[in-house]
Amino acid sequence: MTEFLNLMLEPLQEVFLKFKSFLPNLLAMLVILLVGILLAKILRIIVVKLLIAVKFDSWSDRMGFTTLIRKGDVWTKPSAILGAIVFWLLAIVTLMVGLSALKVAAIDQVVGHFFGYMPRVFSASIILVVGYILAGFVSRAVLITAANSGFHYAKLLAETVRVLLAVMTLAMVMEQLKIAPNIVIAAFSIIFGGIVVALSIAFGVGGIGVAKRMIEREATETTAEEPKDEIEHI
Amino acid sequence: MSDFYQTGIITTLHQLGKPSLERLESELHGFSRTRPVALVLPALYSEFEGPAMPGIVRELSKVKYLKEIVLTLDQASEQQLEMVREFMAPIATEVNIIHNNGKRIGEIYETLGRNGLDVGPPGKGRSAWLAYGYVLARAQSSVIALHDCDIVTYSRELLARLCYPVANPALDYVFCKGYYSRVSNKMNGRVTRLLVTPLVRSLQQLVGQHGFLVFLDSFRYPLAGEFCMTTDVARVNRIPSDWGLEVGSLAEVYRNYSPRRVCQVDIASTYEHKHQALSADDASKGLMKMTVDICKSLFRTLASDGVVFSDGLFKSLMVTYLRQAEDTLMKYEADATINGLEFDRHEEARAVEAFAKAIAMAAQVYMENPMGSPLIPNWSRVGAAIPGIFEMLQTAVATDGK
Amino acid sequence: MACCASLTFYEAIRTMDNVTFRAEIHEQIEKAGNADILVGIPSFNNARTIGHVVRAVQAGLAKYFPDHKAVIVNSDGGSSDGTMEVVHKTSVEDFNAILLHHRVKPISKLAFSYSGIPGKGSAFRSIFEIAQRLDAKACVVVDSDLRSITPEWVELLVKPVLNGGFDYVAPLYHRHKFDGTITNSIVYPLTRTLYGKRLRQPIGGDFGFSGKLAQFYLTKDVWESDVARFGIDIWMTTTAIANGFKVAQSFLGAKIHDAKDPGADLSNMLYQVVSATFDLMENYADVWVPIRGSEPVTTFGFEYTVGLEHVNVNTARMLKLFRESLNNLREIWLDILGAGDLREVERLGALSDGEFDFPLSLWTRIIYDYAIAFHQKKLPTEHLIKSLTPLYVGKTASFILAAEQMEAAEAEAEIEKLCMEFESSKDYLATRWK
Repeated sequence: MTEFLNLMLEPLQEVFLKFKSFLPNLLAMLVILLVGILLAKILRIIVVKLLIAVKFDSWSDRMGFTTLIRKGDVWTKPSAILGAIVFWLLAIVTLMVGLSALKVAAIDQVVGHFFGYMPRVFSASIILVVGYILAGFVSRAVLITAANSGFHYAKLLAETVRVLLAVMTLAMVMEQLKIAPNIVIAAFSIIFGGIVVALSIAFGVGGIGVAKRMIEREATETTAEEPKDEIEHI
Repeated sequence: MSDFYQTGIITTLHQLGKPSLERLESELHGFSRTRPVALVLPALYSEFEGPAMPGIVRELSKVKYLKEIVLTLDQASEQQLEMVREFMAPIATEVNIIHNNGKRIGEIYETLGRNGLDVGPPGKGRSAWLAYGYVLARAQSSVIALHDCDIVTYSRELLARLCYPVANPALDYVFCKGYYSRVSNKMNGRVTRLLVTPLVRSLQQLVGQHGFLVFLDSFRYPLAGEFCMTTDVARVNRIPSDWGLEVGSLAEVYRNYSPRRVCQVDIASTYEHKHQALSADDASKGLMKMTVDICKSLFRTLASDGVVFSDGLFKSLMVTYLRQAEDTLMKYEADATINGLEFDRHEEARAVEAFAKAIAMAAQVYMENPMGSPLIPNWSRVGAAIPGIFEMLQTAVATDGK
Repeated sequence: MACCASLTFYEAIRTMDNVTFRAEIHEQIEKAGNADILVGIPSFNNARTIGHVVRAVQAGLAKYFPDHKAVIVNSDGGSSDGTMEVVHKTSVEDFNAILLHHRVKPISKLAFSYSGIPGKGSAFRSIFEIAQRLDAKACVVVDSDLRSITPEWVELLVKPVLNGGFDYVAPLYHRHKFDGTITNSIVYPLTRTLYGKRLRQPIGGDFGFSGKLAQFYLTKDVWESDVARFGIDIWMTTTAIANGFKVAQSFLGAKIHDAKDPGADLSNMLYQVVSATFDLMENYADVWVPIRGSEPVTTFGFEYTVGLEHVNVNTARMLKLFRESLNNLREIWLDILGAGDLREVERLGALSDGEFDFPLSLWTRIIYDYAIAFHQKKLPTEHLIKSLTPLYVGKTASFILAAEQMEAAEAEAEIEKLCMEFESSKDYLATRWK
């Protein structure tokens, strides 16, 4: 009888022992989670306060970030959004650290992967932001220069530049994130090359008539000798 | 560009061609010597954090013909009041802020209440009314213009066109309502399109060519929040304190003045402001509350003018309204189609159902209590009841401003 | 360095810090000792014209200031066409042609390449340094591409400083009614309104100033900024006015200079001048915000009218550029001007060439809005100001159309009207600036 009981109790005991050795880990995880979340909350408040102090919101209004997020129907303040990002990032990191405190091999691996991936996410997001700013800046410069020299399709040109830069940025981001790198590179080459080819064909074939007319007009205009302005602006 | 067709019994001033704002403003500047204009801006603090306010302040800082601006501010703390003051600083015109949540203005409301003058619950109606009182108290302006603070596409042309018919002594209008097309990629302004106009026309079918109904039907956009009036109108008009503000104000104008001295003016080619969510279930929220208030206000106004509302009439009204609304809906669908605008037929039909529900609710409330909440008394009466009220109001605003 | 022996220790340190001159320049400065009048001529590849300028200056000094010790300083930006040699070689052979009988003190000449960021500002800085070293009482700077300079210019720019107690003398020219449009429609009205002094040519290029002011200029820490490259003219004028120096202007007659590079880009020109003006608004906000109205400044010289030759202007092309840009730059302008004024600009775009008329008040608000946008850093400076180009072109075309049949005085009256508009709208600028 006792044998039978032992047979029954042994696994239970084993489970209990395992649980006993596991319990500190669990407690550690809970403590880590608690402290981490608390820390994240405090950090969020600090970040938001800091951003408000340096007038981040009006800066992002000027840079067009606000309009960008408003387009996505997000109506919170940019500083609050950044605060939330910081919070959730820390929360996720805390969760990961907490999980690793459980010392379970499978989870450890996942956590390892996660932390290995973090730098990529970070650099990708920096590329995204810089690319966005750069695309806006360059396309506006193109727009103003083209408009000032009287080019009728200035806006179209500027939009084209913006789209090309956006495509390039996105490709770089995907590449950085290692999302199907081969496909991304191939797709990028195809899209980018395609756009260029399409443009050259469009301008080449479709534009023969236009080009001809333009050259003709240019020629007649120059032969008609449009008088040069002689006023001094300064 | 619009056509120049005149409809209804009031004058319609269209936007024809491309009138110069420059000319309009310089003329207004000339009129402002004999007819100074005050601008009343009802605003919530939250609107200062929204997208529209910076544009409005920017445009207003370029306006030279205004005598004063009265900002009547709701839902703001002391600290927020300071921020609002800062926000308004770029405007060179004298700006006075009525801090409706402040201690002093609160005391004014209490004083009114103590003396048996029911000014109703806090809201745009009450705040705007107090602002008129303040303009009257200062006695520096003879024209009051008012517009909302949530207009994203605000241009000062809107203000100039709104003020012009009343400020110009040669035209001599006493009240001028703004109108505009609420079109983006689709038609907005559902409450006017699908509730007010069909309802007014249904009522006309049922009770005949009643004067006020004809008057109301003359307005292209009876619910527009933008209007301009002489200070005399502000003195003698009583207004509802709830969402029936627009309809109630028109009723008062109808009662006190000849339609020949009333006009509507096209104030903007595009107009965009925040939309109210449609909640069919909760009558105290958003659009639903608004529609119920509007219907109640309409019923009460008509009743006070001798129209007899009965259970039977309401029953017929429901049916007539539904048919009118459906007919209207088809008209708008055709209009949207030819202009290549989006038109969500289902969504529009749902709105009509919700509005029908609102009419029923309003009818029920009316039957239970035909008097309802009284209108806010006019300033002539307030001045008679509490002789020192104007001075008190001026002191309160001045002290708040320090 | 032996040449520095007589300089005080402090000055020696300064020499190290600021502009470093080559040894022979030091020798020349030493040799000159000190001077009453210093005439500075900045140059860069002006061999063709600088000879005339140097001759005129020499004659002027000999004729009007025979008893004053004078130095001509040519601060060159590294010309490759022998500008400096021309300066050295040029002299007036026969003073008798100009002078009847006079003892003429020798006039020293100094020609060297300045160091620092290439630009007119750096050239001027060297001139200021030398003025300080020589303890000059009065200084004059004149452009090296002037064709219409006469000996009288030296007198007109120096006398008010030497005898009149003025610190800064701006030029006053008679120019063709269509010339100097950036000055006429932006810089003059704006500077006048901001600082309350009616200096007609704030960026004329030829100025007289006192040694005291030259020293004051040197104390300003701007020589690494854009001022060193361009915008020195408006900087000098504004610094003088805003710091309470006594200013005057002298009528010099016509201003004719060597044909400018036709390839010079208008929007670049606009960018340089306007950004320099706006930049100064930032520095001197405390000074200009309270000022209202303006007062005339003392004017020297005998005014006479200058003939108006016909000038070719293609207003149709200018208006076309204005209208085309309306589509392309609409969003940018909406951001800067706001909805109300953008609509006014759009209304202008719909007018035909014949009825095109840019309202003065609209132009005023546009300039103020740009100043405010600059202050609020709405766009990168270069983008911001270059986007003003089509509006400026439209405004200029409108002015040319309106002034086509006008006499010079009538055209001037138009500019006066614009200035009044600027002044009466200043409240708007001042309140929005905060």
